[in-house]
Amino acid sequence: MTAAALDAAHDGLRAAGIDFVSGLPDGWQRPLHERVEADPDIRYVPVCNEGVGFSICAGAWLGGRKPALIMENSGLRVASEYIARISLGTGVPVTLLCSYRGDVGETEHWGIPHGIVAEPLLGALRIKYLVVRHVEDLAKSIVRAKRISEAQLHPAAVLVSGDCVWED
Amino acid sequence: MALDRYEWLGRLAARLPDDCLVMSTYIGAVSFEWAHHTEEHHRSAHLGQMGDVIGLALGLALALPHRRVVCLDGDGSVLMELGQLVAMGEQQPDNLVVFVVDNGVYESIGWGAVGRRSTATAGRVDLAAIAAGCGVPYTVDVTAEDELDAEMDLAFSRNVCSFINVRTAPGHSHVRPRRTDGIEDKYRFVRYVERLEGIWITGVPPQDIALMKDRTR
Repeated sequence: MTAAALDAAHDGLRAAGIDFVSGLPDGWQRPLHERVEADPDIRYVPVCNEGVGFSICAGAWLGGRKPALIMENSGLRVASEYIARISLGTGVPVTLLCSYRGDVGETEHWGIPHGIVAEPLLGALRIKYLVVRHVEDLAKSIVRAKRISEAQLHPAAVLVSGDCVWED
Repeated sequence: MALDRYEWLGRLAARLPDDCLVMSTYIGAVSFEWAHHTEEHHRSAHLGQMGDVIGLALGLALALPHRRVVCLDGDGSVLMELGQLVAMGEQQPDNLVVFVVDNGVYESIGWGAVGRRSTATAGRVDLAAIAAGCGVPYTVDVTAEDELDAEMDLAFSRNVCSFINVRTAPGHSHVRPRRTDGIEDKYRFVRYVERLEGIWITGVPPQDIALMKDRTR
């Protein structure tokens, strides 16, 4: 992600009151993982798959924390089993911040399947989401996603793409 | 002779520190028998399902590091998501104790003429060894009753991130299934945590309740 997007994403997480982050770094959001890990106000828990990260975030919410899961959109597929079990079954909110690989502008062939699956999968899981392609929208989108996740007691997502990752 | 699950869970319930929290399975014999022994005390969250119980307990333990968290899981569930043990071994919260009811079978699905369906722990898989390999500081595979009493006493007498695998005999539960769903289970656990910790987790925040009262004047 660009330097401006990195700042905006971190600002958005802080403004949203996120104090617990789990995730698996990907190429686009790796700098954000590093930024969050260094933030003394956020507990950062790295995982080796996004499903485990979702479960950990859900457990942290039950203990009073405000969690976010940061991952590539491919991780949505991995996490979907636990999102369905935990959030569709019991109503636990976690903010999801996903790189939108496979969005228009993608340069890598392997990212295409991630782009094909992401939005239909979010729909199947009844997860409201915002696609952010302009840096100036990123921070407030994270705040709004977290806000509705708390209101509906279900995850909400931000898909990050466009100017947040490419300078063309 | 393998340990009896129902009897063991009763002894665990009797030893459970009053001020701890429990993450348990949602449905199945372990959940129903634990609920029966604890009279569904709200300190127990019956929210874990196949592959996510330890993850939920780990998140809870990290969120409340001053609070002992006990996790009750089954072998089939642990096997479904071994990555949970990696995260547990990396984080090593000293307030987390995981007990696994390892009966070597998928008990809750029932059985037919050929008998119960085995899990991998009935063969060569050793969950305690896997947890140790993931870096969990204390792991043990318990097969004897006197050993089990000592392990429970040890777990509750110190603060060490622990994984205690208990080999029990298969056996269908004779207690009634629980009546509540995950939504109700979540609310009662969350309200219990809010009271216990003096924190706000969900619903209208206390400061907003004050504002609403102001508006009604």
